[in-house]
Amino acid sequence: MSGYLRRRLLQMVPLLFGVSIVIFGVIQAAPGGPEGSLLAAGRFVDPAVIESYRRRLGVDQPVSVQYLNWLRATVRGDLGTSFSTSRPVGALIAERLPATLELMGVAFGFAAVIALPLGLVSSRKPGGLFDTVATGGSFLGLAMPVFWFGLILQLIFSVRLGWLPVAGTGTIGASSFGDHLRHLILPGFVLSTRYIAGWSRYFRSTLLGLAGAPFVRTARAKGLTEARVERVHTVRNGLIPVVSIMALNLADLFSGAVITETVFAWPGIGRLFVQAMFARDYPLLMGILLMGAATVIVFNLVADLLYGLLDPRIRYE
Amino acid sequence: MPRSDGKKILRVAYEREIDLLNPFTSQNLVDISFSKIEGLVTTDEHNQFVPVLAKTIPTKANGLIVANRDGTLDMTWPLHGNVSWHDGRPFTSKDVCFTWRFVTNPASETYNREQYLGIKDCQAPNDTTVVFRWDGEYAYYDGLFEAILPEHVLGGMTAEQIVQFEPYNRGSQTIGTGPFRFAEWKAGEYIRVVRNDNYWRGKDYPKIDEIVWAFIPDANTRLNALKSGQYHFGRILPVQVKDVATLAGYRDYLIPSNSVMHLDLSIKTPNGKALFADPNVRRALFHVIDKKAIADQLMEGTVTIANSPINPTSRFYNPAVPVHPVDPGEAGRLLDQAGWVVGGDGVRTKGGTRFSFTILNRAGATDRIAVAQVIQAELKAVGVEVKFETLESAAWTERWRSSRWEAVVSAWFLPADPSLTGLYACDGANNMTGFCDGALDPLLKRSDRTLSFPDRKRDLDSVQVYLAESARTLPLYYNVIPELVSSKVGNYRGSGTNFGSFWNLYDWTLAP
Repeated sequence: MSGYLRRRLLQMVPLLFGVSIVIFGVIQAAPGGPEGSLLAAGRFVDPAVIESYRRRLGVDQPVSVQYLNWLRATVRGDLGTSFSTSRPVGALIAERLPATLELMGVAFGFAAVIALPLGLVSSRKPGGLFDTVATGGSFLGLAMPVFWFGLILQLIFSVRLGWLPVAGTGTIGASSFGDHLRHLILPGFVLSTRYIAGWSRYFRSTLLGLAGAPFVRTARAKGLTEARVERVHTVRNGLIPVVSIMALNLADLFSGAVITETVFAWPGIGRLFVQAMFARDYPLLMGILLMGAATVIVFNLVADLLYGLLDPRIRYE
Repeated sequence: MPRSDGKKILRVAYEREIDLLNPFTSQNLVDISFSKIEGLVTTDEHNQFVPVLAKTIPTKANGLIVANRDGTLDMTWPLHGNVSWHDGRPFTSKDVCFTWRFVTNPASETYNREQYLGIKDCQAPNDTTVVFRWDGEYAYYDGLFEAILPEHVLGGMTAEQIVQFEPYNRGSQTIGTGPFRFAEWKAGEYIRVVRNDNYWRGKDYPKIDEIVWAFIPDANTRLNALKSGQYHFGRILPVQVKDVATLAGYRDYLIPSNSVMHLDLSIKTPNGKALFADPNVRRALFHVIDKKAIADQLMEGTVTIANSPINPTSRFYNPAVPVHPVDPGEAGRLLDQAGWVVGGDGVRTKGGTRFSFTILNRAGATDRIAVAQVIQAELKAVGVEVKFETLESAAWTERWRSSRWEAVVSAWFLPADPSLTGLYACDGANNMTGFCDGALDPLLKRSDRTLSFPDRKRDLDSVQVYLAESARTLPLYYNVIPELVSSKVGNYRGSGTNFGSFWNLYDWTLAP
């Protein structure tokens, strides 16, 4: 097991190196450069200033030189300085990560609490009224554009009813823990819908697949109650693939939710990424994307390890 | 409105998170910075420069501008004497000269650095007098130095170090002389400033205790936030104005911005040159485009039609410029005369060239794209094919700068002074169209190098007429910035210049 883990962790190094080359290339291939943001405000800009700006940022150098400079610094643990804010990329990411982790954590919590029972109950009577409604709801959840759903919830719960705040993480100057929780409800719920829809469908179909499995038949033949069969045999086995999907989705925790964070003015990584993209803030983009890549790789490993925990037949060598 | 424990807290739903607080190097419009940082001048609601740290704006008439024999000018700015920085140190004329040295250094990355280059020397004969020596007359001298930097904080650094100096960029040492002091910048969320109790205008100013700018980038969310009553001020889109017409407790102001939506054609590409080099062809196109329909229907009557790049709020606006009335018949005649005849597929051709061009659109600029779509439909009726290419903002800018485009629907955000030289002179830094006109250049350049209002007005009047007659560009409408302001806010005097509506925050009041 430890040998397997070590090997997988070592494999990350060339993988991340390859990923860094690809994303650096893609970022550089996008037309336009950081100097575009000088003109974005619609002001006249002195051309000498544009040249001076490009020189300071080093974007006047060949792409290969820029990459090597970036790589040298990154290996030493320095992700560089953001073009648009002149601040360290590491600090910018560290500042935004907690907000994203919190929002995604709440969304995952909502989703797990709702999706698993939904899938379980649906699987008990496939085609029944509950299952039909849940299926319809899931497809609606998957199909609904997040920005639209978010705005509609704002209109209902904030503008009309006045129950919940529209956006932000707290009432500025008058924030409390309760106030903060109230700010989390709408974005957390909006973000959870796609996970609820996906996970509940997945869990339902896995459980249905298991209903006719030999070991379930045997359990029933032993005289176990239906509740015990469900608890001990089908649900535990049905969770294996769902948990691995959840673990893969956990990588989203770190990359943020671009649209939800924008619609709810949530100060997370997703919004930072959008700002960086529009400003062609290459170091910041590299930092965020590399972190995203690393978390996907790590959570793939976590998913694989979870298989082993849930299914004793799986062994790692 | 959230509770505020007896304090008067102004809550602003702001449209973006700014990048940094140094007003010279920020790439955003810097209206937030002006709550903390003041300059010699700012602009008021009438699109005029007004003195701030300067006691008065020098003119020849008040004797503060004196011509020297060698053609240079000495310009004396008297400064207020009782002004201190937020850390208690006195503000003096030396800070002004320090700012001049910083701004003119290319490494300062000040966007309008070239406008300062006519100043050859800065002298501080005493703490409250600064004297600039100009290399000659320069018309927009009175729009410079909208901010002054503190020498005692930034003085020991190179320009490059100042540009990257985080304590000033980020707040903890953003020392200014303004009515509010920096308090907090929560990344991605808000900037908070608090009352400067030692403000130089006196103990009665400012009249509110705190201001919070919450960053709410999505326009629909911002509208919902305003509708929910949690904010006192926010900018919305023209198409959202009808949504707030009956919103209780707020008033919406359509601030005429110093920005004109226009259609530009370029002759820098071979196709652009083949199509647009003939002024009669350009006139023909302009006879087809119905500005009134665009203003009244597309923009829902929130904007006014433009015939000149200069805004009617400017004293340099010429109301008597010729217009191209909507007349598809005349357009057809002009195109026929120019040899563009309708071909089998309904598109005009001349010598094997189809009259087909591409408008370069900026993704997400929904108003501009909608205008382009109207133009596309209208030109189709006279046998002109318009295609679209849509690029994301940075990519659009790169293409625009490299002149690889045929047409754009675009807008500039101009300062209160309407110099048009950068846009239309042959060597204008922002003239990417390839048009170069020997008759226009002398007028433009002369208009920049005079301090006489009648002389400059005469030249700029002629420039506006010339631009219309030669169909160089088609002004479509003057942009407006709809600002939604709580009726609890007093003394708001919205300004449509690039310095924004917060120019007189020291005077704003907030009823409980």
